[in-house]
Amino acid sequence: MTTMKVYISEAQATENKVALDDMILTTKLPTTAGSRMLDDYRSLFDAEVVTRLETAGYEIAGKVNVGEFAIDLLGETSYYGPCEKDGLLTGAAAELLERDEVKAVVSLDVNGAPRRTAALAGLICIKPTYGTVSRYGTIPAACSGETICVTAGNAETCREILSVIVGHDCKDGTSLPEDACERLKTEAERTPVKKIAVAKAMEAAADEAVREKIEQLKTRAAKCGIEVIEIEAEELLLAKPAWNILMSAEVCNNVSRYDGIKFGYRTPHYEDIDELYTNSRTEAFGFLLKSTVLFGSDVLSTDNYWKAYDKSLRIRRVLSEYLNRIFGEVDAIVLPACGKEAYSGEMVKENPYIAYDESLFTAPSSITGYPALVTEGVQLMGNMFSENSLLDLALMFEKEGK
Amino acid sequence: MDQEALKRLERLNKLRLTEEETAAMLDYFQMQRRELESLHAVNTEQVERMVHVMPMTNIIREDKASQPFTREELQEGAPESYDGYWQVPRLVD
Repeated sequence: MTTMKVYISEAQATENKVALDDMILTTKLPTTAGSRMLDDYRSLFDAEVVTRLETAGYEIAGKVNVGEFAIDLLGETSYYGPCEKDGLLTGAAAELLERDEVKAVVSLDVNGAPRRTAALAGLICIKPTYGTVSRYGTIPAACSGETICVTAGNAETCREILSVIVGHDCKDGTSLPEDACERLKTEAERTPVKKIAVAKAMEAAADEAVREKIEQLKTRAAKCGIEVIEIEAEELLLAKPAWNILMSAEVCNNVSRYDGIKFGYRTPHYEDIDELYTNSRTEAFGFLLKSTVLFGSDVLSTDNYWKAYDKSLRIRRVLSEYLNRIFGEVDAIVLPACGKEAYSGEMVKENPYIAYDESLFTAPSSITGYPALVTEGVQLMGNMFSENSLLDLALMFEKEGK
Repeated sequence: MDQEALKRLERLNKLRLTEEETAAMLDYFQMQRRELESLHAVNTEQVERMVHVMPMTNIIREDKASQPFTREELQEGAPESYDGYWQVPRLVD
């Protein structure tokens, strides 16, 4: 097995260095999606975010390890192994930013891993409104919800990089028109966050240490003159099971292209075409991905399509309408980004589906496309196109904390 | 979900689980069944499906090739190719 975790250029650290997670295609570096299936795979073209960053003068300094197809907790299912420090999972993006080797990391948020990474490391992560950043040239996993996001050590850097990568792209069918994307640019007008609501049902599902972080954020918000209220928000609990169903179904379809014929891994052990397909996929895919494919296939089957898949699409609308109502009353919802203070490889061994339990906190934003910000180890969801307001809030907290 | 149904899913998806993985997977299906019940507690009879989070339809662009890759380039990533073709095992006797 290769031991590569992070590719990083040898040039000295510069102001303009940005790293990408390994779900984003680049011609200059391999893109593996953390999977043996794509070990050393080289793309023929760059992702749109890469083109935009390079055009704006940024250097793509390296690639960051991800869990297989970015569906796991913190990169622990990567073929190249997890990133750990003192026995705890950290996420490669956090390690790079901590070492100050890059200015920011641009990632594909499929199932919340970048947000969890940022929350655990005390970084800022902005997951923008779905459709504002082109997904052209990202390895598809769960297309209806996955979104490119930016992680950095401070809110101003997140805003700077986000401003570069947002914009309409005709190569991505889900890309929003330019006038909608413009609302995320640094200079765009925005309304300040004046009232935030803590989602009690989500808060109650987290450990005490995480609830303590929310308490600290509430205190800080109050000091900044922001009204803090509490809402039950039990509806948000529906997001996890619905997103797990939709994500699994989409992952199942998206990884069906990996067959050991056109590109990627091919097993040396086969007699006929069926063995070639089966052995290539079985040997190359990890257990979480196999489980996801099988579950996704089941929810799309004749027996379960209406009960599970169709139901989840309707729940998505229920959630979306609920959030639309809530954002008519408050500017942001406060919820944990993850339920625990730290995670170890041991915890993943005990519960290989821990990522799907922890998506309780990240699924509301993933399934509805509403933006989310991670700051102070806590997640804030905002209304569509409210990224600048959320980042202003993070900046305010940064200043207040100094 | 039982072992037989799971085996069928494995065949359909060209995957194979070990015995240990099969046991974990069956537990996972049980867990998902319980989670699904929480969704069914919500009446969505009058709710329209939401396939896309943004109300965008009929997205088209000019029918113009923009990435004219050569056959050689496209086959660079192929596990096995020969003389411009992808190589696969014999399909018919």
